[in-house]
Amino acid sequence: MQNYTVFVPRLAPATENFAPGHRACIGCGEALAVRLACKAIGDNVIVANATGCMEIVASQVPYTSWRVPWIHTLFENTAAVASGIEAGLKAMIRKGQIPDRETKVVAIAGDGGTVDIGLQALSGAMERGHDFLYLCFDNEAYMNTGIQRSSATPFGASTTTSPAGKVSMGQFSWKKDMPAIAAAHNIPYVATANPSYPFDLMEKVEKGLMTKGPAYVHIYSVCPTGWRCPGDLTIRIGRLATETGIFPLYEVEDGQYKLNYDPPKLQPITSYMKLQGRFRHLPPEIIDKIQQTIIEKYQELKEKVAASTGVAGG
Amino acid sequence: MIKLTIDSRTIEIEEGTTLLEAAKRAGIYIPTLCYHEALTPIGSCRVCIVEVASNGKSGLTAACTYPVEPGLKVITNSEKVSEARRLALELLLAQHPHSVRIQRLAQKLGVNPPPFTLEEKECILCQLCTRTCREIVGASAISFISPGLGRENNEAQIEVSQIKCIACGSCCYACPTQAISMEDSGDTRTICTPSGQMEFKLKRCNNCGRYWAPQKQLEYMAEKSGLELAAFDLCTDCRD
Repeated sequence: MQNYTVFVPRLAPATENFAPGHRACIGCGEALAVRLACKAIGDNVIVANATGCMEIVASQVPYTSWRVPWIHTLFENTAAVASGIEAGLKAMIRKGQIPDRETKVVAIAGDGGTVDIGLQALSGAMERGHDFLYLCFDNEAYMNTGIQRSSATPFGASTTTSPAGKVSMGQFSWKKDMPAIAAAHNIPYVATANPSYPFDLMEKVEKGLMTKGPAYVHIYSVCPTGWRCPGDLTIRIGRLATETGIFPLYEVEDGQYKLNYDPPKLQPITSYMKLQGRFRHLPPEIIDKIQQTIIEKYQELKEKVAASTGVAGG
Repeated sequence: MIKLTIDSRTIEIEEGTTLLEAAKRAGIYIPTLCYHEALTPIGSCRVCIVEVASNGKSGLTAACTYPVEPGLKVITNSEKVSEARRLALELLLAQHPHSVRIQRLAQKLGVNPPPFTLEEKECILCQLCTRTCREIVGASAISFISPGLGRENNEAQIEVSQIKCIACGSCCYACPTQAISMEDSGDTRTICTPSGQMEFKLKRCNNCGRYWAPQKQLEYMAEKSGLELAAFDLCTDCRD
């Protein structure tokens, strides 16, 4: 990843297709990520947006923040609707009913709409090879309904349905590795992105959009409301997630893994956890256990990267 | 407001807008290579050619530099226009057969590679880097070799001055063909340009120890902002 500072932001697209004035919470990392993604996507697009935070905050009747063609779908059928749009466009162009303007199809969903409820439709759409881009904005729980756990909630995090107390230690299962599931479909492009690294995020969304066939980008979105953290720490917590190895930035192009940012030394996860109220209850032994797992997972990823470069080199 | 027609559609738009921006806002596609919304247009790639008719005369012109005029008739999809665009792109393709950006545009416009290859240069002389360095950064470190009358067309090449360059990497971001690339490794940033390779020292953050920005860029920022150089001792992550 290139370390662009100061001057390059002035070269980023100035058009805002995700308009301000929406009802996202103060410090929302997801709204920031959607804004950056919209800059990379441009205006020649049809967006299918699952129920979730971004649908709730950006489309309250009679207002909307979307300056591109946009359709609201249910939790479970975002990928199905997106594949329908893509197939419909293809058919209408073939029959000469509309000119071929190379309109792109983008599906947007939160972590609940992707890793829990929408997984079946997404798996089918990726397997059928529709030419679309799927963006998952992962804020690690069902936030707009009141912070219920999803299968993307990290181990130990306190949510309203996995509360910390005498009986429960917060979330009892490990975060589902959704990018790996997408990569296992052998689709041409899978990536993880983080709005704390804006140029990397825009580059990946654009790359996914240009890919022929299904592309999946998993975008980490800090949620100050649900994670119990101050809204001014969104960017810092996002950077710490990558620097601690909790959310590594990588891409999988035609099965080849590439790590985009490899910090010289991983930071301890406590620097990430101590900023958030959802991990406050964790005793040191549980934190040590999580630290162990994070390092193991990071090593596993690095092995995949090493294997990929080995194949590419030899 | 000025009224004009683009592809027999009447469009009303503020004075001072260029044809390209007017068409873009109306949703009419015009291909571009050297255009960037944040930079002054120069019309060097000739891919955005359109046909313009006013007062009974018509001719071809670059849409990115032509301002809107009242009553102007613009055609973006005539045979004459396609022919001109195709020729411009064919020559670009002959010079830069491996540039992904040009290949993609050629495919979109249905241009086949010409049977001959002139040379294989990465740089397409779009001047996005020179304009970025001059207008966005203000360092003016990039220019053409021997500009002016003495220049031979086939020798045109950009040149980066190691003295003026502050190693910010903005040109690398602006470059559409990867003719300029940069890489950070340890305490050194290497920038590769068509005129050679340059190395710059990076500054280490006093708190976390990360090499976070080129020393020369920080000196330039201190000079421009009037701050002490010590204000840049900490990286953006460690600052409060």
